[in-house]
Formats: sequence, C-alpha cells, structure tokens
Amino acid sequence: MITNMKIKRTVVCLLCIGILSLSVCLLVSPKKEFSENENRYLTKFPSFSANALLGGEYTESLGDWLADHFPQRDFFVGLKSGVEIASGRREINHVYVAQDDYLIESYAKPQNTARITDTLVHFYDKIGQAKVDVNLMLVPTAVTIYSDKLPAYAPSSDQKEVADAIYDASGIPAIDCTDRLYEGAAQGQIYYRTDHHWTTLGAYYGYLAYCDAKNMTPVSLESMEAQTVTEDFAGTLYSKVNDYSHPKDAITIYTNPADDLTVTYADTGEVTDRLYNLDYVAEKDKYSLFLNNIHPLVEIENSTAASQDTLMLIKDSYANSMVPFLAHHYKKIYVLDTRYYRDGPSSFLAEHGDITDILLLYNMNTLDGDTGIRGIY
Amino acid sequence: MVFSCIPFLFFFLPLCLILYYAVPFSWKNGILLIFSLIFYAWGEPLYILLMLFSTLLDYTNGRLMERFGTTRCRRTFFLCCSICINLSILAFFKYADFAVASINGLLGTQFAQPGIHLPVGISFYTFQTMSYIIDLYRGEVKAEHSYTAYLTYVSMFPQLVAGPIVRFADIQEQLHGRKLTLAGFEQGLLRFMMGLFKKVLIANQTGALWEEIRVLGAADTSVATAWLGALCFTLQLYFDFSAYSDMAIGMGHMLGFHYNENFNYPLTAVSVTDFWRRWHISLSTWFRDYVYIPLGGNRKGVLRHLFNIAVVWFLTGMWHGASWNFVLWGVYYGILLMLEKYVWGKLLAKLPRGIRHAYAFLIVVFGFVIFAITDFGELGGYITLLFSFASGTLADTRFLWYLGNYGAVLVTACVLACPVYPWICQKAARLGAGKRCILSACAGIGMLLLFLLSTAYMVSDTYNPFLYFRF
Repeated sequence: MITNMKIKRTVVCLLCIGILSLSVCLLVSPKKEFSENENRYLTKFPSFSANALLGGEYTESLGDWLADHFPQRDFFVGLKSGVEIASGRREINHVYVAQDDYLIESYAKPQNTARITDTLVHFYDKIGQAKVDVNLMLVPTAVTIYSDKLPAYAPSSDQKEVADAIYDASGIPAIDCTDRLYEGAAQGQIYYRTDHHWTTLGAYYGYLAYCDAKNMTPVSLESMEAQTVTEDFAGTLYSKVNDYSHPKDAITIYTNPADDLTVTYADTGEVTDRLYNLDYVAEKDKYSLFLNNIHPLVEIENSTAASQDTLMLIKDSYANSMVPFLAHHYKKIYVLDTRYYRDGPSSFLAEHGDITDILLLYNMNTLDGDTGIRGIY
Repeated sequence: MVFSCIPFLFFFLPLCLILYYAVPFSWKNGILLIFSLIFYAWGEPLYILLMLFSTLLDYTNGRLMERFGTTRCRRTFFLCCSICINLSILAFFKYADFAVASINGLLGTQFAQPGIHLPVGISFYTFQTMSYIIDLYRGEVKAEHSYTAYLTYVSMFPQLVAGPIVRFADIQEQLHGRKLTLAGFEQGLLRFMMGLFKKVLIANQTGALWEEIRVLGAADTSVATAWLGALCFTLQLYFDFSAYSDMAIGMGHMLGFHYNENFNYPLTAVSVTDFWRRWHISLSTWFRDYVYIPLGGNRKGVLRHLFNIAVVWFLTGMWHGASWNFVLWGVYYGILLMLEKYVWGKLLAKLPRGIRHAYAFLIVVFGFVIFAITDFGELGGYITLLFSFASGTLADTRFLWYLGNYGAVLVTACVLACPVYPWICQKAARLGAGKRCILSACAGIGMLLLFLLSTAYMVSDTYNPFLYFRF
C-alpha cells in the first residue's frame, strides 16, 4: 500500500540520487573549453597557489569552474531562461524578449556622451585643414526602429535625442539614416532576431541614406547577386538570453558582379577578392563572415569603381555589412576599426593624401558601451 | 561558502554526510569539526585562527571557572575576563573602522582607518561563546570538558555564518549523545530543500529587482516604484535570512541536532512587539536573556524600563553592522516599542486585525529601507521618494513594467510569507488517506521540479549575494 511515508522516502531517495549522480558526472565528464550557445570561453581549472588560497580567490574560481562545467549545463541554463520568460519576464541580461520572436538589446541612459562629443570635436578640428569631405552616421538600433515590437512598458532612452545632441555638438555633417531605416522596416527584416546587428537589408537602407547625402546613385538590390549563406544564425542576443527554443536567423549576402575587388588585411597580410569569409558560416559567430571579422585596417580596391575617390571608413562592426554596397563607389576604401587600430586615424589621414572622403559610422549601443570611438583621437 | 552554491550542495554536503554516517559515533564530532573548519576556511582561510583563539579562550575560562570558581567573586572574575576579551575582539574586528570614521567625522580629525576586513560570522559565534560562559556563571549549564565538542559547537557549519544563534545549554547533551534516524534525515533534507528554494528562487529574484530600483535615480522612480523597491528588499531579506535558518535547521536534523526555530512568519505580525517575537528569534531572545532581563527588564519602574529598551535596541541595531544606519534602525524599533508599551499598545489591540497587520507591515517595510541603505545621503533621498506623494509621480509605466516582469515572483513571495504551508498541512490532516497520498505525491513532484529549477539558477551565473557579511 502506498503511504505518505513511502512517498516521502521516494522523494528523498530521488533527491539524493539526483545530487550524487550530478556530482559524479561533474567529476568524470569530459570538459569543454568553449560554450557555443553562450558564445564564451568557460572557466579554466584554477592553478593552485598559496596566495590565491589564502586570499580566497582559489576557492572562488573553483566554484566558477564547477558551475561552468556542470553536466547538461545548456539544459539548465535554458531551463532557467524558459521558466523566467514563462513567468512573465521580458528582459533578461539587458535584452528584451520582444514580439515576432525578436530579441532586442535595451538602450540604457548613455554614460559617455560628453566624452564622445569631445573626441569628435577634437578629431574634426584636427582634420579641418585637409580637403576631405567628413560625415558622421550614428545608426539607431532595433530598440528605436522596432519600438513597436518591444514588450509593453519596456523602459528605453531616446536614441534620436542622444544622436542629435552629438551631431550638433560635434559639428560634423550628419547623415541621419533613421527615416530610411523606417522605410526599410516596412519592406523586410532589417535587424536580426537573435543578434544586435542590422541585417544586410538594414545595411542597404543605411547605404541609401549615405547615397542621399552624397548625391550618389545607389546600386539597386536587384542588380546584385543575393545568396542566403545560412539559416542557422544564433547571434549575441541569443547567447545572452539562452532560450534555446528561440528561432534562429538567416544571413543573406550581396555581391555586385560589376566590381573587381582586391581586399588586403593589413594585420595578417592576407589578400583576397571577396568581402566575405564564408568559413564563419560553420562557426557560432556567423556575423564575422562580413569582412572576415575584426581587423584594425582593411584596404579594399575596386578597379572598376564608379569614381576615382578614396574613402576612409572609421567604424564599428555595423559597417562590415555595409561595405559591400559602398565598395562600388570608391576606387579605394580604408576600413579602420578604432577599437583595434592604435595609431590614430588623423595621422593615417596625413600619411594618405589620396583620401577624399571620411565616414564615421557607429551604432548607438556600441557608441556608448564600447570605448572604441575614443581611439579616433 | 554559501549554502546555495554548487561546491556546497554537490560536493561538500554529500561528502560530509557520507563520512559522518559511515564513522562510529565517537568520531562523528571530529568529522563534523573537520568539515566545519574547511567550510569556514573556504572563504576565510586566515580568520579561522581567530575563531580557534576565541573558542579556546572560552573553553579554558569555562574549565577554570569550574575548577577554581568556588566563590562568586572568582566566578565573576572569569566571566569578566571572558566577556571583556570577546567583546574586545568583536569591537576591534567589527567596529574599529567605524569608530575611527565616526571620530573623524565628529571632530574633523584625520586618523587613518585600520582597514580591517570583517571575519564572516564573528557576531554569531561570539554571541554563542558568550552564551556559554554566562550560562556557566549562572549555573545553567555544566562546564564542557571536551575541547573538540566545544569547538564543534561553535564552528558547526550549518549555523556558523548566518545563524541561528544556538545556546550551548540547548545543545550540550546532543553533542555527547544524539540519535540519527532515517526519519530525521528525510525531514532534514526536505527542510533544507525548502530553504534552498526560498533563497535561490525567491530571495535572489526579489533582491535583483531591489538592486535595480535602488540605482534608478530620482527622475525614474515614482512613489509606487520606490515602495515596490522597499517591498522587494523586505522580501529578499526575509526569504534569504529565513532560508538560511531553514537550511541550518534542516542540516541539523540530518546530523542529529535539533535547533530552535528562528523565524515565525514575521511579516504577518500584528504589532512591532509581535514582529520581534517572530523575526530572528534567536537574536532577540539572546538580548532578552543576557541584556534586558539582567538590567531589570520592566520590573524597576517606567524610567528604568525605557532605559533598558533603549540599551537593548541600540545594541540590536549595532549588532547588524558597523554603520550608523543600523543604529538608526535599532533606535527606530526601540522608540516604536516604547510607544507600543506606553502609548498606543492598548488602543492597537482593539483595532480590527486587518489594520493591525497593515500597521506592522508598513513599519517593517519602511524600517528595512533604513536597514538597506548605509549611506545617509542616499537613504534620505530614497525616503523622500517614498513620500513624495504631492511633488512626485505616483506611478509610471516603469512600475507596471516591473510588475509585469516580477509579478509572478512577488505574488509567490507574498503568499509564502503568510502561514500557507502549515494551513495546508492542517487541512490535509483531515483528508482521507487516499487524498492525502495524492496531495503528498504532488508535493513530491513539485519538490523534484523545484530542485531542478534551483540547480538551473545556481548553474547559470546569476545574482547570489551573501547578505550577512556585515553581521
């Protein structure tokens, strides 16, 4: 006969078995170095030292190591997110769980606006004498353009207000792509559902705004070759939320058959004729396929370019998916990632007399959160 | 080491229990002692020496008092020795920085602060060893002859870092002979699990919201959000602290010890007096038995009674941390207790029960705001937000946003803060055997699911604070 006592005993037994089997698994299971789902390196087993032990750091990192290499970690991490979302949570790790399966990075009150404008003012002063055409483009993120998809009452600061303030204070001629992006949003998906970047289509609408400002005739999308290279892209926001039931993204790339490109990566010395490195399709961080991930300096030459102009593009990763459109218009593009290019773009400009145009392109989230832009001056 | 972490739950505790059950009884205290020392050393490797010194002192004093304490005068001498040294250690390690800072603030001097990092659990174990020596002086307990047993009592890991404060008199017999039963183990494990769920699934979640609201800034905090923040901290502290006591009591059962209850649904109190009978019971009884009653309690006239209350509540506040806001928090309760004793206590008792609950609850929630914020400037700012009914926004969309995100946790917390569980048990006792089985099967499945979920929360790198580092 089943009695209360037997039920209690069974539950206690199962709990004990659960605890013991998990601890045994934790000890004997093979250890991973990298978590694909969370997109980060897992803690390494701490090296022992008397100082670390006495200071308490050794035991602390031992605890981190155990948590990182816990058996079925992905299941547990996903379980937590799933239960949180089911209980009504709509913000996890500063990412909103929005409508239509969108994950949208939140935009907190910017902390560094004054310092950023200061940097830009200095930069603009310094290159003021050179005869180059400078533009600043601050790209709003999904939290602005897709604000209608945000969960009800989600608090967010106004990116437009901040961008306008920076435009005004810096004095650099602004290219505001907001309206173009709204136009794009009506046409298709302009931000990834699982990543903080804009899609190639979003980048195209950013490019249209650039062409508007520069009086250039944009290349139409139809005249380019489109290729969907993956439908299995789980981006950075996916890894922050860790809800593994979330649908993934497709990545489409465009190639202009009219262009004849030579792409040189200054740091590795690699030379290629493509703007994409499709090896990244097999990896977790698939957005890196644009311009072969992060490089301090990339030179792109187009022998069949529509003009003899040379562009210096100072940017964050948003620009990587816009370059394939810009490449058509410039004989040469120098792409500088100021997070990694240490010598300073102003001295670079002095050394390269052929530069006719400069575009500074950052998205509103990286602009404040990343110290990269400080590298421009 | 906190109880709600992977090293503790999956390695330390199972290993300790397996060895503890495997060895003969005469070794059990030794095993418990070794594990307790490892537990303490896990986070505080050096300060373990301080604890060893403190216990050795009281043990020796106890033996000396037994051997030479033939007259009251001599016994008093040993008692004073012990208390002076204990309090000096506590004062030095806990209050030195605070004292220097206060003197600097008051006199405008520039003395350098010694910069001492507070040893975890020092307030708990100092109070435990003092209870032993005072009880010994009063003849309420026999002197302990085994240093291992005494050190085991003081350092016992279930209650070492976050209470309850166990009195030696309550546990001396158990140290030398206790029964380990399967039923006790089962009861203990389930109790421990309940504590774990409370800590990981409720306290940490409401705590995370409190941390978020606290740093919002005045412009984004409506009156409703400010009160929500205060409620969140109240729930965090209650669920965290009572969860530690649950886990301690549960582990005690597994090891064959019986600790007294430390919390009795304090948030459902009907008065401030009632609240303090239900909140951290082991601390308030300690102060009652070793300070309030020796001072004369309420038997020496009104003025003396008020003075006694003032002393006890000043010390209670002080015990919670070396910062003026804790003193303020203690004084706040001291004054409210005086008022209840002498002004509106009788009137209060006549009011409808609902109003009395609301009265005590609001006082408690507001009190914990004083408790939560150590910086007076920030505290003043937050209190202003709580009461800016006229000038501030009453409620905004951000408040609704928090309610939507944390509503489920908050409702669960509020329900569990009421005595729902005893009520269900009482109702279940009247059911037929079949229905009772179904009910306990459901409860069992719930337990297993909550265990999985708690593990998930511990595995994911989330907010898991230890709130008692100031105690």
